[in-house]
Amino acid sequence: MRIFGLLVLICLFGFGVVWMRIEINRSGRTIGQLQNEVAIKEARNQYLELEISRLSSPENISRLAHEKLGLVQQEPHQVIILKDK
Amino acid sequence: MYRKTVSAPFVFNIKDRMRWVGLFILLAPLVIFVRLFYLQTFMHEEFSNKAERAIYNYLAEDRVRGKILDVNGKPLAESVRTHSCGISKRYVKDKDKVISFLSDTLDIPRKRIEEKWNRAKNFFFVAKKIKPDKYMELVDFLRTPAGQGIELTPEYERIHPYGESALDIIGASNSKNFGLSGIEQMFNQELSQDISKKRVKRARRGQIIYDRKLKEDVTVANIYLTIDEIVQYYAETALKKAVENVGAEQGIVLVQEPSTGKLLAAASYPVKDGQSLGFQFTYEPGSTFKTIGISAALDAGTVSITDSIAMEGRKWEVAKGVIVRDNQHDKDYLTIPEIMQLSSNIGAGKIAVELGAKNLFYYMKAYGFGSKTDINFNGESKGSVAPYTTWTKVDTASKGYGYGVAITPIQLIGAYSAIANGGILMQPHLIDRIEYTNGKVEKKAKPIKIRRVIREETSAIMKKVLQSVVENGSGKRARITGYNVAGKTGTAEKLSKEGGYGKRSHVVSFCGFAPVSNPQFTILPVFKEIASPLLALKGIEPDQLDF
Repeated sequence: MRIFGLLVLICLFGFGVVWMRIEINRSGRTIGQLQNEVAIKEARNQYLELEISRLSSPENISRLAHEKLGLVQQEPHQVIILKDK
Repeated sequence: MYRKTVSAPFVFNIKDRMRWVGLFILLAPLVIFVRLFYLQTFMHEEFSNKAERAIYNYLAEDRVRGKILDVNGKPLAESVRTHSCGISKRYVKDKDKVISFLSDTLDIPRKRIEEKWNRAKNFFFVAKKIKPDKYMELVDFLRTPAGQGIELTPEYERIHPYGESALDIIGASNSKNFGLSGIEQMFNQELSQDISKKRVKRARRGQIIYDRKLKEDVTVANIYLTIDEIVQYYAETALKKAVENVGAEQGIVLVQEPSTGKLLAAASYPVKDGQSLGFQFTYEPGSTFKTIGISAALDAGTVSITDSIAMEGRKWEVAKGVIVRDNQHDKDYLTIPEIMQLSSNIGAGKIAVELGAKNLFYYMKAYGFGSKTDINFNGESKGSVAPYTTWTKVDTASKGYGYGVAITPIQLIGAYSAIANGGILMQPHLIDRIEYTNGKVEKKAKPIKIRRVIREETSAIMKKVLQSVVENGSGKRARITGYNVAGKTGTAEKLSKEGGYGKRSHVVSFCGFAPVSNPQFTILPVFKEIASPLLALKGIEPDQLDF
């Protein structure tokens, strides 16, 4: 009876180890997927930031200022810098 | 007597039965044991290879290449994560469905995918550099049973948000993230990680199973240039316009901060990856080089600013049969400012001869001609200054007005910056700092004085002389209302392939700085179009009191 009990315990332990291993793998897979999604979202964010850089490039701003607002480049002597008192 | 022996009836007693059953029970594990022994001992390699292929995958390192940014942190080159998509034919269950999906999602004609399918033995790439949005659609499809056989591999794309801006300095890197030219190549080690492959466990459909070992320290660095994107934009715009206006083959613009040696812009036209003409192009400078000979003579004391030089009837015979002419004036004597204003070859030649070959050579070397700068840009040329011992009188005279010497634009702008900077030659800088991801910052652009080339008094005199060139001489086009500008024009005939100088082929330039009272920019060679917006942008006050 004692041996039977021991065998049951060993079996339970074995099942526990296997179950834990499966769970670790499953969690690892989920984490892997989530990390991949994070990386993709970060990449998408990076693309958007680069798009902001592109849109705020001096070339683009100059063009828009000229075409949409009719602004022209000022001569340096026309610029007066107001200093803080 | 006949005696019949009767054998005892064959009876299985319980012990025998148990022995046989035991043997039978043992036989099965024995067979399994023998088989396992065989498989594990003799077939070990084959099966471990199979298991390795089934469970593990080898991924190329996720190599995030560092950024290249301008001095204010605007990204000039940045790596973005993309994916490549391939098909492993043997795992595809529904060919038509897979091809239709990929064709619709990736906007690739179905026919092209089918052609690749027919050509490939098993695996082939369908598309590369897939952006995140499309990638998510592919991942969703990949998770369905029909998506089996599609493989997605991470890779990086190098993006330049400002288009071709500063591309001649930045250079290029390939799809494996290796720097091929320019800064990308010069700082490849700092920008990229080591190449290695990582062993990762994978799930049934190829998804990577996370393991703590996958996390690692990233040691890439971001490179900050001294280039200011706005200054670069003005430089590139002005250069393009100037080149197109005169129908030139190519053009170069450099903008330097004279007090620190920092390069604020370096533009070449046409733009080629990693080919910055400012460092690589050598040419005979012509009249812009007169500044070197005359400042040297003033510094050495062989001439004085009040001296007048005889023009020899505007036909000076340097040596027998070698005549230098001045056709642009009809004066018998010219003062030094007039020599510069009228760009007199006779005046500059005579001053160089008076200074002597040895002294002129010394000053040229002191200004940095004939040596590479410490930037050591890929393919940088050191120009050519022959030893003075080989010079004839004609050589000395011609070097005085910028012939018989080959220089690079970075050397010329450095020399003018030295004059603007009170006579001190500063080390030019292209890299401002290197910032590592672990927080370490390596400052590169500290102002470093290379040497004093001319005395401060000589520098002050030369500033006035160069200012007079802009106010009264050949440099009038560089005038900016409200600001004192100093500089010198130059038009040099280019050496032709047939020998001698080509009359139709010239190098046109101007090198100057502003404002003279406190020089902020040295610019070569398109001045006003760049200096004017820069002075406004940086809020530099006019140094002319009455304008």
